[in-house]
Amino acid sequence: MHSAHTLNVSLTDANGLAAGALPSGARDVLPVEAAELRGVEDALRGVFARYGYREVRTPVVEFAHQLERADSGGLDRAYRLFDEAGRVLVLRPDMTIPVARLIATRLSDHPGPIRVSYTGPSFRVPQPGKPVDSEHRQAGAELVGADGPEADAEAVLLLWEALRAAGLDQGRIGLGDVSVTAAVLDGMGVPADARARLSRAADARDLVAWRVEAATLDVGGAHQELLAGLPAMRGHAEVLEHIAGVVPAATAACDRMVRLLGLLDQEGLHDSVLVDLGILRDWQYYSGLVIEAYAAGAALPVAQGGRYDGLAARFGTPRAAVGFSIELESLHRALAGAAARSGLDFGLVLVGGLDERLALSAELRAAGIPVIALSASDTRANALAAAEGWRFVADSDGDALRILDRVDGSTFVSARPQEDLSSRR
Amino acid sequence: MPLGALYADAIALLDSAGVDVSPLRDGSRKLVFDAPDGTVFITTRPSDVPTYVEAGSADIGIVGRDVINERRPDVYELLDLKFGECRMVYATAAGEDPTPEVIARLGVLRVATKYPAVAEAHFLATGRQVELVKVTGSVELGPLVGLSDGIVDLVATGRTLRENGLVEREEIFHSSARLIANRVSHKLRAEDIDALTARLARAVAAESS
Repeated sequence: MHSAHTLNVSLTDANGLAAGALPSGARDVLPVEAAELRGVEDALRGVFARYGYREVRTPVVEFAHQLERADSGGLDRAYRLFDEAGRVLVLRPDMTIPVARLIATRLSDHPGPIRVSYTGPSFRVPQPGKPVDSEHRQAGAELVGADGPEADAEAVLLLWEALRAAGLDQGRIGLGDVSVTAAVLDGMGVPADARARLSRAADARDLVAWRVEAATLDVGGAHQELLAGLPAMRGHAEVLEHIAGVVPAATAACDRMVRLLGLLDQEGLHDSVLVDLGILRDWQYYSGLVIEAYAAGAALPVAQGGRYDGLAARFGTPRAAVGFSIELESLHRALAGAAARSGLDFGLVLVGGLDERLALSAELRAAGIPVIALSASDTRANALAAAEGWRFVADSDGDALRILDRVDGSTFVSARPQEDLSSRR
Repeated sequence: MPLGALYADAIALLDSAGVDVSPLRDGSRKLVFDAPDGTVFITTRPSDVPTYVEAGSADIGIVGRDVINERRPDVYELLDLKFGECRMVYATAAGEDPTPEVIARLGVLRVATKYPAVAEAHFLATGRQVELVKVTGSVELGPLVGLSDGIVDLVATGRTLRENGLVEREEIFHSSARLIANRVSHKLRAEDIDALTARLARAVAAESS
């Protein structure tokens, strides 16, 4: 690794910016992290593909009013710019809404159900004083045109398998359901204005304010206790059975979630799933299940999603939809904290590979061995291998190669480097 | 754990809920304390408690509602612990309230405070323009020396206001200590956190009965 050093460049430019300064929240990604992020993305893409979710891409820039159709609050922290006609553009602040727009407008004649996945950056203005990036890579999947707990179960299972494939083992999935909460409030006859206040408390994750508000409502007896504790209720199917017992009007919504949990149990997810009725986001946007995924070492959920059956209709093609989006940097950070990096990269720093051993370079590369070529007179081979973490350094020994394996410090002479190196993989 | 005014009451409440707080009582100047049961206590300025919890450095924290309202951290607020009770108020110099006159003639009220976000939200919600002067020390000084027309600050008994010739004009909210939890810890350690929350809730109920 590099030791700390001072950059040999003039400190500030005409704007007073230090060399290398970036806008707040922006950052570069160096080779080791880039390779690891690529590995995470490839693992997720592999799982999406095995479930038949085909990849789509949407533009980074969209019309602000298009995205506002779906979620007026979602653009609060978007970067805005203007086009040549003075229309407001935004850098997409998340992927779900652009993908919903794509499905509703470009795939409107698709018989359904539609399965699509995506990977790409989205942009949000960072909040001052918080360690948050302005650019987020997100990978996600959408199942559109399929209703019912079976479709919900596929989304949850797909998310869980994707996270596992990326290397997450200390994780959990939290499931809330706005339709359960809404049915309970309906069943108790909670008036609209109180509902709005409860919704605000739930959005702010303020269970104290929820209880204070619940105490001002006279819903009576067992209902009173259930209402006060609703967003703090968690566990598994027994939570929903209890709710349905106290508030019969919520039975259909509870049954649906119990069915979902049964399907997930069959897939062995019982211990990885937590029903938590405090997981309630934006009641305008979600219509049923709300999904969050957690990883030890990440301060925020690594994935969020749920069912938003009303979203597609705002783009003109009403269809049920369930999906999720994984925050790649956040997931990678959790994975990097859990596992140490696995040693040196498999690759050969070849002195003379740029000139005298050009043919050998080509031959090794064709065999799948990365070759970092130096000219025959270059003396920096060992320093280069140390700085970048390459495993092998080689010099010519007649027609053969003298190869240093940096894993154990041993040196060997090889007349058939392609075979000898491959056998050490 | 919030150092300062809430510290002793926080330790006492945890103790009565059956949490081993003996490491916190050894009077050392350490910032991090390990209890025999594996609990790690982190002590910090109250205004930094939400920062540590939001970042996941601490799973849970105890902090005043005043700090939560000012910082608006993305955390779960689980329980009102009912100690450290105080009120956020707007106060001006004794005598006739200068506020309407200032608004009418100058349009903008000048307010000194340690809680700029709270103060701004309050005056915005009541339709008045405000110019905030952020101070870190004794806010009461502001109106006395002409720095500001009034102050927004936390009062417990009101004694500091009275002794400095200030009068409360508007109450903004009631504050007390709250139990908060990191969004991820709240789920990954759901069983631990629910058990502790239940024990604290019982201790709070016993305290107030």
